[in-house]
Amino acid sequence: MPPVHRILIIDDEEPILFAMREYFEQTGYRVDCTSEAEEAEALLAHVRYDAVIADLRLTGIFRAEGLGIIASVRERCPWVRTVLLTAYGSPEIEIEARRLGVDAFLHKPKPLRELAEVVAGLLGAGSTGSEGGIV
Amino acid sequence: MSRRGTIEKLLDPRALVVEFQPIVTTNGAARKLLAVEALVRGPKRTNMESAPVLFDYVRRKREEVAIDRACVGAALREATEFPRSVALSLNVHAATLSRDPEFLTFLADTAGEYEVSLQRLTLEIAHHAPLWEGESFRATLDALRHIGVQIALDDVGLGQANYQMILDCKPHLFKVDGYFVQGCAGDFHRQAILESIQALARKFGARVVAEGVEDEEDLTTLSRLGVELFQGYLHAPPRAAADLITSGLIDA
Repeated sequence: MPPVHRILIIDDEEPILFAMREYFEQTGYRVDCTSEAEEAEALLAHVRYDAVIADLRLTGIFRAEGLGIIASVRERCPWVRTVLLTAYGSPEIEIEARRLGVDAFLHKPKPLRELAEVVAGLLGAGSTGSEGGIV
Repeated sequence: MSRRGTIEKLLDPRALVVEFQPIVTTNGAARKLLAVEALVRGPKRTNMESAPVLFDYVRRKREEVAIDRACVGAALREATEFPRSVALSLNVHAATLSRDPEFLTFLADTAGEYEVSLQRLTLEIAHHAPLWEGESFRATLDALRHIGVQIALDDVGLGQANYQMILDCKPHLFKVDGYFVQGCAGDFHRQAILESIQALARKFGARVVAEGVEDEEDLTTLSRLGVELFQGYLHAPPRAAADLITSGLIDA
């Protein structure tokens, strides 16, 4: 039986979260979702994920909480693959995200199939899957 | 979802799930119940169903006071299922005792509402960050002792539950985390730490509770080191109050 990869999706738009959860679960992932940076940080501290998909902005105002989440993942669990999504991507933001070690920087809107291909590629050969284990 | 969406959901009186785990003394194969600890989790099928995630999130939002009140209320409500002889252990953040000047009144009122005597209660102090309001914290602890509530210090030896907290709390119970307990039978260094905690507790006139006891050999080792109180799956997993009563561990 192939390994079950566990992913965390962070986005402040509930319909997007809902759609992404549905799609990734149907694709065979175990999925947790949240719209809050603090909840994401709490999950990352206690749950072992294989990949994190984060929206750049979670408050609807000019803040970039997604960058903080990427930085946190890189510091605490560097084996986790990261994807940053943004509808407001500027070259400066992308440079900063790359500096923080993001694995993929994608512009919204992005078809779910393409997003899933990126995630599958990041988790490709050699990935064993977390089986959803708690750390 | 609003910015306070998750917190508001957690504050719904019926959202929190309460289970109880016995704390026992043993004499050979015989077990005697000392108390039950209320273990609160968030709503089922949410991220908050995991207690570590729930309380980590609450601390990041600095909502310890509101959530502790909700947890205490939910635990006391569920505890009405138990006979009045059963002592109850409730978890509270140190931050709550520092920041909430009305906590004592809240506790007394809520216990009264559910007809739970304050003398049945132990508050387990959980501590996760340096304490800046030490004076109000100590004053609240003194007041709790004055009304008959026992104090336990949770996770002794881990994180912020250090010598300073032991001095500030002067607990009746030192609760030692499973990290030190599990595997102690074959680990000289764990035994050395447990022995020192046991000796320290005795000097304070307190008792040690070993948490996370899952193995007979560890239990034997703990007993040899002088530990008398145990909590863990070896004796009973956490269960809903009604299930615990029917399990026979509690005399109805």
